[in-house]
Amino acid sequence: MASTIVTFELGGREVEVMVKPMTTLQSVLRNQLGFTATKEGCRQGGCGSCTVLVNGEPMMSCLLPVEDVAGQRVTTLESITPAEGLHPLQRAFLDANAFQCGYCTPGMVMISKALLDHDPAPSDDDIRQALTGNICRCTGYRPIVRAVQAAAEAMSDDAGEQAR
Amino acid sequence: MTVKSYFLPRSLPEALRLLQLHGPELLVMAGGTVAMPLINEGISLPEAVMGLRLAGLDRLDRTDGTLRIGATATLTQMLDQDAVPMLREAARNTASWSIRNMGTVGGNLFTPPPGGDVAVALLALDASVTLAGARGERVLPLGDFFTGFMTNELAADELLVEIQVPIRSEPTAYMKFGRKHANTPAVVTVAVRIEWHEDRVADARIALGAVGPYPIRARQAERLLVGTGLDADAIAAAAVAATQGCEPFTDGIATDWYRRKMVSLFVGRALEQLAPGAGAEGR
Amino acid sequence: MSSHLNVVGQSVRRSDGIGHVTGRTQYSADRSFPGMLHLKMVRSPLHHALIKGIDLSDAERVPGFVRALTAKDVPHNRYTILSLIGVEPEEEFVLAEDRVRFKGEAIVAIVAETEAAAFEAVSKVHLDLEELPAVFDVEEALKPGAPIVTHWGNNTFMYEGHPCRRVRFGDVDKAFEQADYIVEGVYNTSPIEQAPMETTGCIAVPEANGRYIVYTNTQALYFSLDNTSIILQIPGNRLHFIGGTVGGGFGGKVDVIVEPIATLAAILTNRPVRFTYSRSEEMQVSSTRSAWRIYMKDGVMKDGRIVARKVTSYADSGAYSRQTPYALTKHAANAAGPYNIPNVSIDAYCVYTNRQPSSAMRGFGITMASFALEVQMDKIAERVGVDPWTIRFINAYRNGDMKPHRKLAEDATLIETMQAAATLVGHELPDEFKAMTSAPRDASHDGGRE
Repeated sequence: MASTIVTFELGGREVEVMVKPMTTLQSVLRNQLGFTATKEGCRQGGCGSCTVLVNGEPMMSCLLPVEDVAGQRVTTLESITPAEGLHPLQRAFLDANAFQCGYCTPGMVMISKALLDHDPAPSDDDIRQALTGNICRCTGYRPIVRAVQAAAEAMSDDAGEQAR
Repeated sequence: MTVKSYFLPRSLPEALRLLQLHGPELLVMAGGTVAMPLINEGISLPEAVMGLRLAGLDRLDRTDGTLRIGATATLTQMLDQDAVPMLREAARNTASWSIRNMGTVGGNLFTPPPGGDVAVALLALDASVTLAGARGERVLPLGDFFTGFMTNELAADELLVEIQVPIRSEPTAYMKFGRKHANTPAVVTVAVRIEWHEDRVADARIALGAVGPYPIRARQAERLLVGTGLDADAIAAAAVAATQGCEPFTDGIATDWYRRKMVSLFVGRALEQLAPGAGAEGR
Repeated sequence: MSSHLNVVGQSVRRSDGIGHVTGRTQYSADRSFPGMLHLKMVRSPLHHALIKGIDLSDAERVPGFVRALTAKDVPHNRYTILSLIGVEPEEEFVLAEDRVRFKGEAIVAIVAETEAAAFEAVSKVHLDLEELPAVFDVEEALKPGAPIVTHWGNNTFMYEGHPCRRVRFGDVDKAFEQADYIVEGVYNTSPIEQAPMETTGCIAVPEANGRYIVYTNTQALYFSLDNTSIILQIPGNRLHFIGGTVGGGFGGKVDVIVEPIATLAAILTNRPVRFTYSRSEEMQVSSTRSAWRIYMKDGVMKDGRIVARKVTSYADSGAYSRQTPYALTKHAANAAGPYNIPNVSIDAYCVYTNRQPSSAMRGFGITMASFALEVQMDKIAERVGVDPWTIRFINAYRNGDMKPHRKLAEDATLIETMQAAATLVGHELPDEFKAMTSAPRDASHDGGRE
């Protein structure tokens, strides 16, 4: 079968890619669109470094043929990085030194984004549960959990201020 | 990675047509959590693949005391339902959030041990499976579905389309023991369901995962429990008997020796959860 | 904290932090180049075998196949990473020649237009292998008649003509005779994969001026550059290595594995070539922390003083030595531990087996010594009938003590560290231990031994 054209929404804009059958979303993002924040740690669904959101739900882009997300909404780390400054999660990861080599960070931020979208005030245990599929070999996880807590607090403060 | 055709049928009839057209060489994929890693590594080199994610087989229906689970319902859907608590517990203990959003209940039946834990719960729940082919549908008890390591009753022209689980009120226990607290392959998985008649065990199901080529029942242990009050002696005897018929294996997670030990330990613990006086979860 | 210190005591933002949280940090595999080719390895399915033949004919017919590289394409195929610091002999092969020594050893490099084509071509290379007996245990490998892994006739790395790294200090045999107790132990450790999140990889790009830029995630940029220069027999000034951004290493990225062959492929095709390990390769082919077996025998007096320690250690180097000989040297220097023991004998063997090569990982050589000897210290305490704190305080080394490998202790802090640890865990130490210091023995009056 020849290549096909797949259209999906990426960070609020429509993208159209021509792909060989069963090219992964990860490969399309990294190799065709140059969106390399989505990492490639194992391509087995085992590390979480390629976590993206599909219609707001976290998925491993290495296990996802791009044809499966045709017409759907994909969110990557690039999509949530504001034009100026940082997303509260990015700010919190930076402030908490929630990384060392940085390779797991994009996936960690994306799964944390999904968590806070579902539950703006997660408990410590909720955070740990949400992050179980995302491996970090450097930090030992504690600063990451602290960063997610800090981001949740910062976002709820922001929300409070906007409500006033 | 050398895939020449990738089909995404939008309905069951279309999927069955494609299966008939392309024959057994067509790799059928649901959530992709088992097939994609092999393809990504160049270990599996299929020429034609059919993905079922958009085939409309992911519905959950609760009718006539039965939970009908579409084969491509995700593990997240199991976590979100409340008809069968054991399935929620099994999903909660399987993989991670992202993988539960992708992996399917049907796919779990094709996941080689030590994966495939949800199937262990389904076996204890007396689930049955519907297989659909060009000549129609047939329903099998799940216990008759597995025939060997990664082999089963599914004919080359059939698809697994639905899993039926009787909704019952009996207490159940599900324990998955791994090397980590979460997102871990099993050392052993134990799923237990006890049917009571007054204060005696009328029937029992003890299903085990990761100790054989597919999820198995500890039938000798089940028999020993019938007629007892699930007292300490009965539990101890069943825990020992549960290793009969097990064929534990050695892998990167555990040795066969250790798995066998853990079968007894965790069958005992699961039964203790269900014993009279074990608290709210008991009876 | 003193006001003139700008960094000590301050929380300093990392210079690469913004790049990490935005995903803009460029790791080696985040780059791509027009016309970039993909390299994949044909690897040995057997632990030990003779290579009788390699049939490339089916692989060459795969659409997108560009070329295959075998041992004869590599200018200086046999190398040893540490030859840069005088370690010999050259013993590892960029691509296997007549024999494979571990399951996963590289035999043929396939270069193709796409990763998919490379995978397919790899699957179509037919190897004619004659399986040989294999050995997987360090002590089995040293028995007469064991399969020989190396090309020089025995299974040990040779240290200046000796089959092990040796330390001799005092007279252990005499001290054992005088000791009140003999305490013995055997300790085994498993191989551990460093498992960096980013797998090992590089991209080699030909430049118009005849140089090659190599974007690599190595932890040891000049090891990689210099060894590539030796293996390819081209001057170092034709190699421009760009590194520094490493997605986790932990010792797993100090071996020179991907750069020489990727650069050679770039030279032979005159196109950019990417060679990145799959996760399976990272786990099953790349080197690990080695497996160790350590025998310890201590002579101890009734008062708890250790008067003699004999250590025989075996590190499983796997099929090639890489950084393991160095691990044994470090091990031999540290196997007596931070204790003042007047009679010490250490034999530390770097043993070749048909397992995946082992190499560097976080304190390699020392970590295993610490594990063994600290468990041994607890056993000694139990035998003598004192608590684990006491046995360590009374044997702790001090500044000015001569260590068994003839280095004077100058930075001893064991006593102070244990005192701080006791405070942190709420353990009340006897006054005599509270008063101890690591100051030289002749300057202290705490009853330490002469």
